[in-house]
Amino acid sequence: MTENSGKSVAVLREGKLSIKGNRKAVLRWILDHMVWFILFFVLVVLSCSIRGFAQWGIFRNILYHAVFVGVLAIGEAICIISKEMDLSVESVAGLAAIMTAWLTGTGLDASGILLNGYLALLVVLAMGAIIGAFNAILVVNYKISSFIVTLAGYLMFRALALVVTNGHGVTRLRPEVVMVARTKLFSIPLMVVLLLFIYIAFYIFVTQTRFGQHIYLVGDSREASYNAGIRIGRVLFGVFMLSGMLAGLTGWLLAARTNGAAPNIGMGMLFEAMAAVVIGGVSLQGGVGNLAGVLAGAILLSTIATAVSLLGMPPFYMNVIRGGFIIIAVLLDALVQRIRPYLM
Amino acid sequence: MVERKDVTVLEPPVLRIEHIWKSFGKVQALKDVSFEVYKGDVLALLGDNGAGKSTLIKIISGNYRADKGKIYLNNQPVSFGSPAEARHAGIETVYQQSPVCLNASVTANFFIGRELCNGLPGIKFLKKRAMRQETEKAMADIGVHIPSVKEKVGLLSGGERQALILGRFFHWGGKIALLDEPFAALGVGEARKSLKLIQHMGQQMRLPIILITHNVEYAFEIATRFVVLRHGEMVGEGKIADVKVDDVVAMITGAIHVRDTN
Ligand SMILES: Nc1ncnc2c1ncn2[C@@H]1O[C@H](COP(=O)(O)OP(=O)(O)OP(=O)(O)O)[C@@H](O)[C@H]1O
Ligand SMILES: [Mg+2]
Repeated sequence: MTENSGKSVAVLREGKLSIKGNRKAVLRWILDHMVWFILFFVLVVLSCSIRGFAQWGIFRNILYHAVFVGVLAIGEAICIISKEMDLSVESVAGLAAIMTAWLTGTGLDASGILLNGYLALLVVLAMGAIIGAFNAILVVNYKISSFIVTLAGYLMFRALALVVTNGHGVTRLRPEVVMVARTKLFSIPLMVVLLLFIYIAFYIFVTQTRFGQHIYLVGDSREASYNAGIRIGRVLFGVFMLSGMLAGLTGWLLAARTNGAAPNIGMGMLFEAMAAVVIGGVSLQGGVGNLAGVLAGAILLSTIATAVSLLGMPPFYMNVIRGGFIIIAVLLDALVQRIRPYLM
Repeated sequence: MVERKDVTVLEPPVLRIEHIWKSFGKVQALKDVSFEVYKGDVLALLGDNGAGKSTLIKIISGNYRADKGKIYLNNQPVSFGSPAEARHAGIETVYQQSPVCLNASVTANFFIGRELCNGLPGIKFLKKRAMRQETEKAMADIGVHIPSVKEKVGLLSGGERQALILGRFFHWGGKIALLDEPFAALGVGEARKSLKLIQHMGQQMRLPIILITHNVEYAFEIATRFVVLRHGEMVGEGKIADVKVDDVVAMITGAIHVRDTN
């Protein structure tokens, strides 16, 4: 078979794989990254139908607005993959934002400590980790459902921040905090670079490390994991602490963006993060999910928000569309699960 | 203890159970049951419904404690308080619905809890390729062909899943596998494959297996020895090669009582 092209020779050398098998692999890959194709499709449709949509400035904006929900969604995704739930992330992010503002604020409404912005970041990360450990203790040691534990946290933590600031917000933060929100690298906002960096790091973490693998296995079958000697409690501690720390980071980034923190900062983000996770293909059954999909979900939500405001539609349309996308995503996922076995 | 003339090597039995008694309230589920399992044995545990087979398996695997009697693993007396303890010692019941991670790959399930890693301080990176190759080799060794070890376990057939669980169990040093009706939920084709697998493991690889089945034909195909329970009592024991199907069926139904005729 000397007339074979180099490519098919390589394919034959692989063993049983035929060209047809290769095509199946491509199809499988497409199905596994469906959200990215939906996102691409939506961007193309919007570019064609809204004048002035297809420009770097708009895309940059979309990415910039995806940063906050995007970071928060990583923690939520990890929790849901491990078959737990973290409803406290939004409030922890709010608490972290207010703490950041209070610690680094330069005005009379702040603490007057004028803490260095990076030290403030360490403070809110530690705070997130402690809150995560607190959630984990209740879930692991006291066997309370994470839904209930973190629902309590959702109610509690933002209010806690307001106790500190006596119910009002803080504005005008130290320059090194604000700088993070305003810097651009080759016309790409630093925040967006950070977002991509964090996603790549966590993608490697969950797919290439033992701890990451255990998150999936524990979410898939507690019994099989227990039988295999995986320390489930330890995995869940890690999961909740990471989720708390990512929420802390989100809060810090929010404070940087708004150069301060109003009492309601980040309100409603829990549902957006949850939507990004679900649209991204993470299953509430546990053990299934891909962080790349979650990033696409976050960008998709931000795209919709941008389009709605560009079109001058009233903002309540946004939730109609978001809800619609959740349904579409879940239905598509069910379809993919049915087709996939035929593509083996 | 029963005499064993077919054992020529002076190897201790992998598992020896002696004078096991167990009752549930008024029900005497097991009465003075004793037998041994050696390397290379596939022991068919036969008996009618309610004969006490599952109870015996559950005592061996740490689910129940016997009222009286002793269990020895490689000549060491053992007493398990839980299935986890038994599993740790190398005894496990492998059944159709044994928990597996359905969304994880064959490799991930094969190496679950024992992942090969690059030992970096703090973060352990998985050696994915090495794990894949080892899984492929192990599955090939036990004679199982799985389309791809990268595929998720949820897409495997019932028999393939069982093969994975059994193969994994012995690969990681399992000493004796207890199979309670492994063919019950399998179609004819799958059951055939499963039979071949158990035969291969038991006879070629000499891995000890206790097999409960209601299908006497299957037992005659793959078992080397049999034990028949009836109302909790041992009514027959021997080498499969020495008996006819009809005789064993008669023991199961109570038409012959071997010990009485002795
Ligand atoms: N947990 C229990 N509590 C009370 N009685 C039990 C319990 N488990 C088993 N028994 C009784 O012990 C006897 C033996 O039951 P066992 O399940 O061991 O039978 P078996 O040989 O496995 O039967 P089958 O072939 O139907 O599975 C039966 O009379 C049963 O009702
Ligand atoms: Mg039974």
